[in-house]
Amino acid sequence: MKRKLIILLMLWICFLLQTTVFNMLDFLAATPNLLLILTVSIGFMQGKQEGLLTGFAAGLMIDLFYGDIFGFYALLYMLAGYFSGRFSQIYFDEDVKIPLMLTALCDLFLNTAIYFLRFLLRGRVHFFSYLSGVIFPEVVCTVLFTIVFYRIFYKVNHSLLEKEKRGRQSLWIKD
Amino acid sequence: MKKKTDPSGRGRHLLVIMIILCVGLMLATMTSKRVTPPVRKAAGVIVTPFQNGINEIGKWLTKQLTGFQDVMKLAEENKALREEINELTQKNNELIQNQAELSRLEELYQMDRTYSEYPKIAAEVISKDPGNWYSRFVVNRGTKDGVAVNMNVLGQGGLIGIVTEVGDHWASVRSLIDDESNISGMASNTSEPCVVTGNLLMMDSGKIDFKGLRDSDNEVTEGTSIVTSNISDKYLTGLLIGYVSEISLDSNNLTKSGTIIPAADFRNLREVLIITELKQTKES
Repeated sequence: MKRKLIILLMLWICFLLQTTVFNMLDFLAATPNLLLILTVSIGFMQGKQEGLLTGFAAGLMIDLFYGDIFGFYALLYMLAGYFSGRFSQIYFDEDVKIPLMLTALCDLFLNTAIYFLRFLLRGRVHFFSYLSGVIFPEVVCTVLFTIVFYRIFYKVNHSLLEKEKRGRQSLWIKD
Repeated sequence: MKKKTDPSGRGRHLLVIMIILCVGLMLATMTSKRVTPPVRKAAGVIVTPFQNGINEIGKWLTKQLTGFQDVMKLAEENKALREEINELTQKNNELIQNQAELSRLEELYQMDRTYSEYPKIAAEVISKDPGNWYSRFVVNRGTKDGVAVNMNVLGQGGLIGIVTEVGDHWASVRSLIDDESNISGMASNTSEPCVVTGNLLMMDSGKIDFKGLRDSDNEVTEGTSIVTSNISDKYLTGLLIGYVSEISLDSNNLTKSGTIIPAADFRNLREVLIITELKQTKES
């Protein structure tokens, strides 16, 4: 329960950072997608179900403030969380390489979906210009930030898991 | 390593349920516009104070940083500025004279609908769109300060955008360089209408598109100012959008299209002005 509340808190902090500080940094070519990094990290560390719920919460936050169609980002982030959750049983989560690839894939998927559903339908047909001008910079930025942020999320998540486990054991002993 | 054993199927069931929920939400918002505003208002109460706070910290930091600037550079700049002041004072005197003449003439023509007369309030930009696809931002003024949807936003010498959503103490603004922004504009010298649209691919070069301009006498050239038109139903008349940068004849040989350099600088938006007056339309 406590862990879930802390994940929510982290989501919220990521959202605030992404909309204020990281948006104002001029030297970045694009805004890194912290919410996606968090979604993928949680999905990869905790499995499909938590990834899915984290993604849903992250997307819903964007929908609340910046979306036109409610549920659009929620759906995309949810799928990203679920997808990365599929890998949690195959790989160990100490290694940063798999989450790196997962964020790259998910960011690519997310932005391509946004392009096809929101831009192509309005007659913006130059997909490759958008790919190189918008999607690619964001993917690179996000992947770079994953290197740092995955470690942070990993540490937080594992210390919380440890506490949870210890709490459960002491309860067992008390009984 | 402890892994949660996910009973097969449970995750998948959840996925299906959530997808249905999301699609349901999407359909609900697309069919009726009444669902989301109350939810958004409630959420705004929780997040905007924090964004405001972070913004304040950021401003303080930039202030500290700029304080460390090279003294030599400042002295040099000071000297140059002094020279400029002399020059400008002279020009200003001339302008004051012209202004007096202008106001006299304006009175004569009863032109009372100029720009400076609209009631305005200042607002600060507190957050921007989290992605890279849209140019929307949130400011720290809302309904409690008299802001309403469709109010025009000005800043740094030109039109910035329009208020699309509003809460108690925040309002989200779609800037005119946003890809989904469409403004009815007109050339200031011929009063011929055209459509001004944002374009994501040209955002880096700082330009926006315009199209559908009739100009058979070739009066619109590079540098002609484009203002909001009188037939627009959301934008007040005569707000400066920008200056024509390129113009070419369309393949239909009737209309012209090209690009505009916006008058306002969208790179570092901090403060904006919201005109707290809505355009008079048939319904209102």
